[in-house]
Amino acid sequence: MDDEKIQYVTKPTRFTVFLRTFLPWQAWRFAAINLKMIEIIRRSHHGDSPK
Amino acid sequence: MSRVVVLGAGIAGHTAAAFARSWLGRGDTVTVVSPRPDYNWVPSNIWVGVGLMKPAQVTFPLAPVYERAGIEFVQAAAKEIHPEGDREHPTPYVTAESADGETRKVPYDFLINATGPALRFDKTDGLGPEGGNSLSVCLPTHAAQAAAALAEEVERMRKGERRRFLVGVGHGTCTCEGAAFEYIVNLEFELRNRGVRDRAEITWVTNEYELGDFGMGGMHLKRGGYVTPSSIFNASLFAERGIDWITRAHVQKVEPDRVLYETVDGKEGEKEFDFAMLLPPFSGVGLTAFDSEGAEITERLFLPNEFMRVDADYTPKPHEDWRASDWPRTYQSPDYENIFAAGIAFAPPHAISVPHKSPNGTVIAPAPPRTGMPSAMIGKAVAGSIVDMIGGAKAPTHTASMAEMGAACVASAGANPFTGTAASMTVYPIVPDFERYPDYGRDQDRTFGEIGLAGHWIKILLHHLFLYKARLRPGWRRIPE
Repeated sequence: MDDEKIQYVTKPTRFTVFLRTFLPWQAWRFAAINLKMIEIIRRSHHGDSPK
Repeated sequence: MSRVVVLGAGIAGHTAAAFARSWLGRGDTVTVVSPRPDYNWVPSNIWVGVGLMKPAQVTFPLAPVYERAGIEFVQAAAKEIHPEGDREHPTPYVTAESADGETRKVPYDFLINATGPALRFDKTDGLGPEGGNSLSVCLPTHAAQAAAALAEEVERMRKGERRRFLVGVGHGTCTCEGAAFEYIVNLEFELRNRGVRDRAEITWVTNEYELGDFGMGGMHLKRGGYVTPSSIFNASLFAERGIDWITRAHVQKVEPDRVLYETVDGKEGEKEFDFAMLLPPFSGVGLTAFDSEGAEITERLFLPNEFMRVDADYTPKPHEDWRASDWPRTYQSPDYENIFAAGIAFAPPHAISVPHKSPNGTVIAPAPPRTGMPSAMIGKAVAGSIVDMIGGAKAPTHTASMAEMGAACVASAGANPFTGTAASMTVYPIVPDFERYPDYGRDQDRTFGEIGLAGHWIKILLHHLFLYKARLRPGWRRIPE
């Protein structure tokens, strides 16, 4: 990659990168993300079964 | 007794057939016509493509599953639709051709076209693994071929060679940029794991106007006090991993060691590679249709891109006039009330991303994605409508507009239970609705994304859960699409 291109790109801090694989934090995020996804799935499945 | 025939056994067709069978009485029949003997959980093909899984881990034979479920399976490719029957018999039917060349008629009362895409490697000179110069992960066999090629590259790098990897899409009108994105970040992760990352130059080539578009106009995420476009996060991930990128590109030709491309601003460029995985553009599978007199009526049922006309608004209009209401809700053919389309087989009214053309007139704009969750949702809704119509309903009773449904998506960014990551995303709705959500077209409280190990765990969970569901094991109906 050329240096000029990379100069204008947002990059994560070391702490952000650390959190991505920090097990206690990720266990919490696993639960939180699942809840968010269930909400989307619930809103998208309306009146599924035949009448 | 009613006969429901489903063409295709991908995510949309398999879901539709399974629900139709489970909701219909035993006096009714459900028949699946598909040329391939196996079900393929396509989202996991990227892991086959980097050598982490074998094709057998993302596929299973359909015949025993259908036999157990009471679904008739015809292993053949659908060719013609005769929605009015013919002079001898007024019963609608499709013709299907098996691998040995035998053609048979399959009569139906209700038809679901879920034939998915034709992989149009032929649209770009030199594209594709079958006689071309690039690899693919569209099919398990393609993905296994890519994994073998990657293993060879790794061996060369272990001997000290530097190698160049090019990943992305091989035409200006491709879709499924998300799958190619997963492949490039998994590839990078695997090269690190195998200790050769420092000898690899990795480049992304895409038809997206900005990174992170993924054919759905990108998305905006609330983070750190700002509403930030997905392009920022995508560029950040690439920069962090040392992946270079070429955007707004239409690949014109794939030579053995380089691609030639044109960009939206009319410039031409080339990029050399040793290993290229480039996804093809899609079209419909080329079904034809005939009336009772034998006259061809294909253009009444299909658009020129061979996808099926449904209840969408296909009036050509400029991007500024696109509306969420253009998108289909019931997926019923406007000409034949007993024909539906589901998944990739339905013709979208237009793109989701803003379309662009180069000064030469080359269209460089991602086609809209309609795989995974929306495909399954559409298949289920169509099955529900058909079951109700068999029960006496005069019109479809179920809807699954992509402008009214959300999607949850997990994009793998490296597969390892402790060091892997994936981008978990939700969007609501999939097709932006600027009348309901004037700022960004989507509900900002329900559109989110983050990258982390938790996403990888969810991705693994979904792999097993959806294969369990597709095998129609006990309780499969309780697993959402």
